[in-house]
Amino acid sequence: MNKVITINLNGNAYQLEEDGYEALRAYLEAAARGLSGNPDKDEIIADIEQAIADKFRAFLGANKTVVVAKEVKDVIAQMGPVQDDSGPAAGAAGQGAPGGGPAANPGAAAGAPKRLYRIREGAQLAGVCNGLAAYFGIDVTLIRILFAVCVLSFGAGVLLYIVMMFVIPAANTPEEMAAAQGIPATAEDFIKRAKEGYYGGMKTFGDRRAFKEWKRQFKRDMRQNAHQWHQRWAGWGPPHPGAWAFGSLAGIILSALTLLCVFSVISLILTGGVLGFFPPFGMPLWLAVILTIIAFKLIKWPFRVMRYGGAYYGGYDRPMGPFPCLWWHSFGWLLLVLLFFWFADHHWVEAHDIMHRLGHAAHRTVDAIREWWDQQ
Amino acid sequence: MSINEKFTAIRKGLLEFLVLKIIAADKVYAADILSQLGSTEFATQEGTLYPLLSKMRREELVDYEWKESEAGPPRKYYQLTAKGREQLRDTADYWRKISGTVKSLGQDISP
Repeated sequence: MNKVITINLNGNAYQLEEDGYEALRAYLEAAARGLSGNPDKDEIIADIEQAIADKFRAFLGANKTVVVAKEVKDVIAQMGPVQDDSGPAAGAAGQGAPGGGPAANPGAAAGAPKRLYRIREGAQLAGVCNGLAAYFGIDVTLIRILFAVCVLSFGAGVLLYIVMMFVIPAANTPEEMAAAQGIPATAEDFIKRAKEGYYGGMKTFGDRRAFKEWKRQFKRDMRQNAHQWHQRWAGWGPPHPGAWAFGSLAGIILSALTLLCVFSVISLILTGGVLGFFPPFGMPLWLAVILTIIAFKLIKWPFRVMRYGGAYYGGYDRPMGPFPCLWWHSFGWLLLVLLFFWFADHHWVEAHDIMHRLGHAAHRTVDAIREWWDQQ
Repeated sequence: MSINEKFTAIRKGLLEFLVLKIIAADKVYAADILSQLGSTEFATQEGTLYPLLSKMRREELVDYEWKESEAGPPRKYYQLTAKGREQLRDTADYWRKISGTVKSLGQDISP
């Protein structure tokens, strides 16, 4: 005759022989010790108790209501010691080779290491400010203002910029781009992976079964990728409505300034001056043209920042805004160009003159080409 | 040292990959995973699997939902999250690379 102890395993009552109870208690205590420091300790213990209860139930029936000591020991042997190597203090973490093992390499999902690169996309000059902004996660406008302040203070900013331009490499490949932003290389990564899968499939052409397996895998990968992309795009949502209007306004001003710049350069070449302003005597024409372009660049700069800093340039792989928005932009551009030409032709004597002369120049060019063609 | 012992660390490292694979194939509960692993070299016990599953859940690779079972209390059915699928894909890529290296390096060992 043996003493029986009733226990509660995750909400179920079981009767164990006393020896079995002692063994089980020791096992669960050891498990709890092994899991100390694990944030999910209670949950794991509950799971283990549940699994033990399931195993006990298999031993019990209508005529057998007590789990004997040997059965308890068998179950414990089946369960195996509770091993927790997930904790940050676990020895395994120290032994793991850097970057090795599936656990140590959670893909690019969590936090791809950031590196400093120049980002030319959406850059004003060589992308130094853009790269710095991406690296530190600060708005690029702020960095540019800082640089501008540095420039004003005896040109230190210019020197700094030039040095950085040569020292910091430009992000050219998608991987570098991703590293610059600290995000996974998405589209390119996906294409690369697809290509790898494709070549993998070519190798299996001899083997029918392997080919079928590859095809299935490939299709599944594609579906998963499509799904992920869908989610990504959905996650961005539409640009901020206020930013949209702001960006559009900046866009119109930019368009107008670009037009003005083109007109100024043409006028400079044809008449030697811009709207009554003439470059200082002795300045070569090419220098005047370059200075004019630089002047316009400077005027346009804040508007560019306004336009691309807010709604439109949200990041490396971010869509540039919904379709109607882009359409509106190009349409507005065209309308503005036409309006400007019409207005200039009717209400602006100099512009009218320039266009008139341009017309003549075009005629002459066409005539010259025709003459040359006839001679052939 | 037997081959079995030599590969202890490798088996341990690969366990998460296999669990990801098993969960990706179907919604399973812990005992399913154990029985699927049981007939292989990767036979595992609850004492190892439960902490691993909870770690994977903490890392948001897997998620579970409670489901009633015909016999006994409700069970936790595990499934992969988007992150888990991504990790599975990355690990599979890496695994392909490794096995390609093993195959191509040095003497040809294929029977």
